[in-house]
Amino acid sequence: MRRKQWAAAAAAAALLLTGHVLVQQSQAQSGGEKPYKVVDGNKVDPETYNGFRAWRAAACERCHGANQAGLVGPSLLEALKRLSKDEVEQVVLEGRPERGMPPHKNMKTVVENIDGLYAYLKGRSDGAIKPGRLEPIKDSSSAASPSGGG
Amino acid sequence: MRNKLMQCVPVVALALGLPAIATANQELARLSKDPKNWVMQAGNFENWRYSELKQINKDNVKNLRVDWTFSTGVLRGHEGGPLVIGDTLYIHSPFPNKVFAIDLDTKQIKWKYEPKQDPSVIPVMCCDTVNRGLAYADGKIFLQQADTHLVALDAKTGKEIWKVKNGDPKKGETNTNAPHVFGDKVITGISGGEFGVRGFVAAYDIKTGKQVWKAYSTGPDKEMLIDPQKTVTWTNGKMAPVGKDSSLKSWEGDQWKIGGGTTWGWYSYDPKLNLVYYGTGNPGTWNPKQRPGDNKWSMTLMARDLDTGMAKWVYQMTPHDEWDYDGVNEVILADLEIDGKMRPVLVHFDRNGFAYTLDRATGELLVAEKYDPKVNWATQVDMKTGRPQVVAQYSTDHNGEDVVTKNVCPAALGTKDQQPAAYSPKTKRFYVPTNHVCMTYEPFRVEYTAGQPFVGATLTMFPAPDSHGGMGNFIIWDAAQGKIVASKPEKFSVWSGALATAGDIVFYGTLEGYLKAVDANTLKELWRFKTPSGIIGNVTSWEYKGKQYIGVLSGIGGWAGIGLAAGLEGDTEGLGAVGGYKELRNYTELGGVLTVFSLPDEATGGAR
Repeated sequence: MRRKQWAAAAAAAALLLTGHVLVQQSQAQSGGEKPYKVVDGNKVDPETYNGFRAWRAAACERCHGANQAGLVGPSLLEALKRLSKDEVEQVVLEGRPERGMPPHKNMKTVVENIDGLYAYLKGRSDGAIKPGRLEPIKDSSSAASPSGGG
Repeated sequence: MRNKLMQCVPVVALALGLPAIATANQELARLSKDPKNWVMQAGNFENWRYSELKQINKDNVKNLRVDWTFSTGVLRGHEGGPLVIGDTLYIHSPFPNKVFAIDLDTKQIKWKYEPKQDPSVIPVMCCDTVNRGLAYADGKIFLQQADTHLVALDAKTGKEIWKVKNGDPKKGETNTNAPHVFGDKVITGISGGEFGVRGFVAAYDIKTGKQVWKAYSTGPDKEMLIDPQKTVTWTNGKMAPVGKDSSLKSWEGDQWKIGGGTTWGWYSYDPKLNLVYYGTGNPGTWNPKQRPGDNKWSMTLMARDLDTGMAKWVYQMTPHDEWDYDGVNEVILADLEIDGKMRPVLVHFDRNGFAYTLDRATGELLVAEKYDPKVNWATQVDMKTGRPQVVAQYSTDHNGEDVVTKNVCPAALGTKDQQPAAYSPKTKRFYVPTNHVCMTYEPFRVEYTAGQPFVGATLTMFPAPDSHGGMGNFIIWDAAQGKIVASKPEKFSVWSGALATAGDIVFYGTLEGYLKAVDANTLKELWRFKTPSGIIGNVTSWEYKGKQYIGVLSGIGGWAGIGLAAGLEGDTEGLGAVGGYKELRNYTELGGVLTVFSLPDEATGGAR
């Protein structure tokens, strides 16, 4: 119960910050539905692909490792098994400066693709998306609709 | 008699109208010439990292043993080393940048200084929260904090005398370099090459902290302290003026404003020429397609007048960088015979895998040769134009954005990074800790946001293929000939600074945590000791009460210890062959300790 309240508060904070995306969030959380679509481990839906690009643009691998397995920063493969989508987004946007995690709320690429970033990391954590380079799925008709991008 | 003479000097200087720098210079020069002290990070202005002491020598070094140890109480990467002045040792730590003054007699902490710094600076520090050490002059200890504050402390009490802000962490500006005192100025630089910072070097008055000059690495001549007519560079086989707007013309639009060229290395100084030497870092971003042009004066060796900051000459080693081959590595000053003629030279082992020998008075290019035979991104440096001859296959600009360029040697961390080499005037040879690592490099388009990473490339690193399988070498280099004299393979990159001594030995540390002593002529290993953690600090030596000591900081971290594993293949691509740096975990953990060694009394052979 307490956990839910916290999550709701965090979601509200995330909403305030980003001003969008709440609908898709709850869908992903409640239905047990995967937030990403992946083919052959390295072809993903456009939103997840943009998340991967945001991951690269923000140079997340400098702390979390190219494979998200952790370096000076924690393993995201593990963290994404533990944290809710709201919690992940909260940390990404607000940071944890005292622990070395920078805020990204001023970085357009990250803010606009925060759902995709979560989807990408979740896919990595689930083992469904392979490490390394990704490509968008060629035929996009079956893929999730791209995020509005704010 | 000598005392009287010393007293007279300032008077003479005044009478002759010489600048007052003579006094501060003399104090430091005098202290550095006494091998009992280790008064600046490199031991002398020339960046030699050489000790005249020889109580510990190649015959008795096998008896070396731990004398005392000191924990800094800080994790993360410990670069740099202690200073020793008289009966006091001064040691620093990574963020939060503690400073300790230790009584060499009692090993008691005389004073401790711990600055209050905004932790938001941590995420904007590339490659770990390292600090490369303190400087001393005029009864003051100088600390260059991570948050860019430059502080002067009373060497006796640790009390703050002055404090100035050198940069703005909100823009990604931080500091990792050691401040350097030359004359009456403390020189410092800036880090943030991965955050779109515009690099500069600044000089502050050691008495007051007042900024005397500031010279940018990119931009208009005036802000770079370049005289278009008088500042010269190697041009078609001779020195010629750089001309008007030499930097501006080499960038598209305003890109020079976020153009990098940071300055976090080791600086050196020639008191006779009154010139300060240093190298500038990579241009931002790491995606070369995004910044057409030579991107001057990133990747450049600079010679500046100490008093005015004006550039006397410049030399760009890697125009239009495509691999993150920062030019910040140390510049070592020596006098060498080249083609039968004694010349005042500087020697610089660049990240790009070439070792350069230049005339340090004129800036003429004399030698540029690979110091690892595996270097493949360029065939050679054209000695007439001074430009590297880039191989198209390894050109990440030629191959383009979102394309993986494979098997480039060296990797982005270079054939050598900041880990400083040593020079022995006895052997006339250079002792160089190196990396033996290659990479894949994929540039991609990025947008600039102030204070956010501005990298634009993703890479993987692996040991140089078809070699000994290790990721490092320790080499002896002949800088007059441009040749490797001897090479000793190492399992991991050698990320510690070397020390050469008059005892015909050379010391260096390894990432597993061994401090090693090797023969200065053959590199034969004579002794090793496993310190508490991997060594990325620099080895120093001093004498106290008739005994020679060797000191080194251990404490794994830095790019080699942490960042490197970031790009590792292996578990990603199932290549398995690359145990590489990951294997470090089998040898070492974090934690900063200064370990001090000496010979047992009976082994000194009456040298006392």
